Amino acid sequence: MSFVAWPYPFFLIGVVILYWVLGRRPRQLLLLVASYIFYGFWDVRFLALVMTTTGVDYLAALGLAGHRPRFLAVLGLPLLPGLWLGVCKVLEPLTGPVPWGTVAVALALGLAFSGAYQGLWLLPENPRRRGFLFLSVGSCLAILGFFKYFGFFTQQAVAVLRNLGFEPGWVLPHIVLPVGISFYTFQSLGYVFDVYRGRTEVCRDFLTFAVFDAYFPQLVAGPIERAGHLIPQLDREQVFHPAHLQEGLKMILVGLFKKVFVADNCALLANYAFAPETTLNGYWAVLGALAFAFQIYGDFSGYSDIARGSSRLLGIELVQNFRFPYLARNPSDFWRRWHISLSAWFRDYVYIPLGGNRGSRGETMRNLALTLLLAGFWHGASWIFILWGAYWGAFLIFYHFSPVKVFADREATWSWHTFGSVLSMWIITLMGWAIFRSPDLARLGSWLAALGNWDSGAALPWARCALWLGLHLAPLWLLKLATCKAQDETALEHLPWPVRGVIYALLLLLVVSSTEHDQEFIYFQF
Amino acid sequence: MRRLLTPAFLLTLGLLILGEVGARLFFAHSVSGRFEYGFSLDAGFMEHPDGRVELVMAGGRRFLPQSFQRKRPPGVFRVFVIGDSVTRGPSLKQAYPWFLQEELQRQGIDAEVLNLGVAGNGARRSRLIFLKILDYDPSLIVLHVNNSNEYEDEREYRRAQEFKGWHPRHWPMKVFIFRRLYEAKMEKLLWRLVPQTIRQRFAVNDADAEVAASQNPEKWQQWQRLVAEVTSANVALARELRVPLILLTQCRLDAQGSNPARLTDEGLDEMARNLAGRAGVLHLSLKELFAPLDFKDYFQDSSHLKPAGHQLLARALAEKVGEILAQSGGAHRVSSASPGRPE
Repeated sequence: MSFVAWPYPFFLIGVVILYWVLGRRPRQLLLLVASYIFYGFWDVRFLALVMTTTGVDYLAALGLAGHRPRFLAVLGLPLLPGLWLGVCKVLEPLTGPVPWGTVAVALALGLAFSGAYQGLWLLPENPRRRGFLFLSVGSCLAILGFFKYFGFFTQQAVAVLRNLGFEPGWVLPHIVLPVGISFYTFQSLGYVFDVYRGRTEVCRDFLTFAVFDAYFPQLVAGPIERAGHLIPQLDREQVFHPAHLQEGLKMILVGLFKKVFVADNCALLANYAFAPETTLNGYWAVLGALAFAFQIYGDFSGYSDIARGSSRLLGIELVQNFRFPYLARNPSDFWRRWHISLSAWFRDYVYIPLGGNRGSRGETMRNLALTLLLAGFWHGASWIFILWGAYWGAFLIFYHFSPVKVFADREATWSWHTFGSVLSMWIITLMGWAIFRSPDLARLGSWLAALGNWDSGAALPWARCALWLGLHLAPLWLLKLATCKAQDETALEHLPWPVRGVIYALLLLLVVSSTEHDQEFIYFQF
Repeated sequence: MRRLLTPAFLLTLGLLILGEVGARLFFAHSVSGRFEYGFSLDAGFMEHPDGRVELVMAGGRRFLPQSFQRKRPPGVFRVFVIGDSVTRGPSLKQAYPWFLQEELQRQGIDAEVLNLGVAGNGARRSRLIFLKILDYDPSLIVLHVNNSNEYEDEREYRRAQEFKGWHPRHWPMKVFIFRRLYEAKMEKLLWRLVPQTIRQRFAVNDADAEVAASQNPEKWQQWQRLVAEVTSANVALARELRVPLILLTQCRLDAQGSNPARLTDEGLDEMARNLAGRAGVLHLSLKELFAPLDFKDYFQDSSHLKPAGHQLLARALAEKVGEILAQSGGAHRVSSASPGRPE
């Protein structure tokens, strides 16, 4: 179910009312059922993957903490995905095709996991803990790897073999990418890492953990939550407060504005500029990159705002995922403002374990490069995303090790240097988005070539389109101006109530002026 | 509950309600039946107790403001011209119905020509206007037949149906100011600022999806058939009621590319010739009228005429009217011209 689809408001209202009527335990059950319904709107069959991640990481974390679960749980939880696929098989006309082979493989893998899990308990503590960690990480990454990266790697293998003169007769399978798989896998893995390092308490209650893993507001596109932040909120009995509703509705409104008014209207120009058949010149290259920069910002930060708002209606706070990223003063600052939860995840679970900046300059450079390459690859199985990661890695290395201080510090007060830094970051970010948005390297090449051609030629007139873009960005910047004082993109409380009232009314009018686009959120594909 | 209704929330709600109520109060005419999109028999015809009928912008039908007496005064030759933006012209006094009235009055006919051109009207909506004006005792109906508005007709019909529907997807659009704002942006601002190439390629909204559909040959043929059927039904009804009818068929100026400019009628002339020719129904082809001339001078764009084109067309129509009057024995000729009745 999409946040901008018509059933969502009804779904949310229903969940919110029931949630506040019920007691603590039934609330958790409600959230789990609601989350599975929410996810099942795309494809109920893929709920098996959510169940797998939940079952595997729940058991692995218990093992890491030394709590041996009952045999029934060890046998039953890994079999749940297979059983669910069996149900889908029975209801095939409703759910879509499910081959018996898939059901059998899911059950067999479940049994294999149970066997391995039981076997690990025979080992001494340290190897056992490493074994549980490996079991969890291996299972989650195997699922992610198969659904997200298998096609990419087999294509590369075929290309290499062809270059070597072999013609493999393989028929490459078309694998559907389940919505949000990278988000819930990383959230769940983060929990296992935290338990392994003793940074968070193990969650012994399966229902609470299942809700943590599948919590609908942030299930398909984040923010990627930390167990230490979300599980205690899910576990405790929330008390209703009108402020929850006020804040939640305001966040949803701001999120809808960013998505429906800003992102979807910018998408029109960005999609055109980056389409393979479009003739570009310099104006269109810049306009396209600018449109995409605000499309992806509005789309993703809008999603995050709606997610935070929806969760706030339930009294649960999600982390802030964006904080004025286009006001960043240096590359490092940008990643502290853009997709904050993912940046923090890579920092805590990849960069620091690799050694962070504790080693030599060379090691730090390597760690930065590796982390950004992986972050790029997280976005999708394509050379374009790897290139995008490398691009940002190069700038981060330059920022940290350049002998000349080109960029201003994050905390620097406003000056010409700060202004120049923000401007430089704009150029760097736009170039980065051009890489990110290009469907392939050839299109990226033509985009770069267009920057050297400022003739009108066969390209469409751009001035009116720039006006269209400006008309959609002006309200966004005004909103930013109103919220930047509070360092939260949805914070308007510091404004006098008459101003707030007018802003809410205007935002609502702008949202409805752009409905019926029904563009899907970009980050669902990751 | 009181803590939920914060002053800011109440102000938001108040502003929206004020906007909605204000629009409905102060623009009562244009709001009334607005979302029937002209798919209503009575839209735009406002009948007064004193017998006057006013043509207004209402019910999604944006007539040019004019008025006439419900019952045709004795001796008045009343002509209704039904059409789209070509008929409507740049303004009431620069469109061929007005010039036709002047021309007929110059010839000593007490003519009253009413311009019922509504931009974007296709066969189905023109049919509704045709049915309605039969109540007003027409001496002659000029039916300007065009086949380039069918996508718009279809789109508006679907919208009208959607608006009546129960589906929650359409609930926000039941608020007048929301719907008007949406339409103003997506059909005026968007169309003005974003080139058609972009809009069509990504079929931004249903309007563009329809334009894209118009490039589908199957859809195009379907619309052609529809125009033929509706026109045929109109002719049959006019004959049955013995109301004289002129079928005025539109043509397109094709002046793109390196080929010499030409006029195309998209099969309309053949269709009209088949329907006309018998008593009471005449045919006038725009293509045949302009083809012998330096026609580019008369066209403003591919289909709309310049004032000179409107004048020429009015003279040609006046000749056809002369034929009709000759058939009826010139009952409407009067000695002095009477003034027009536009408001």
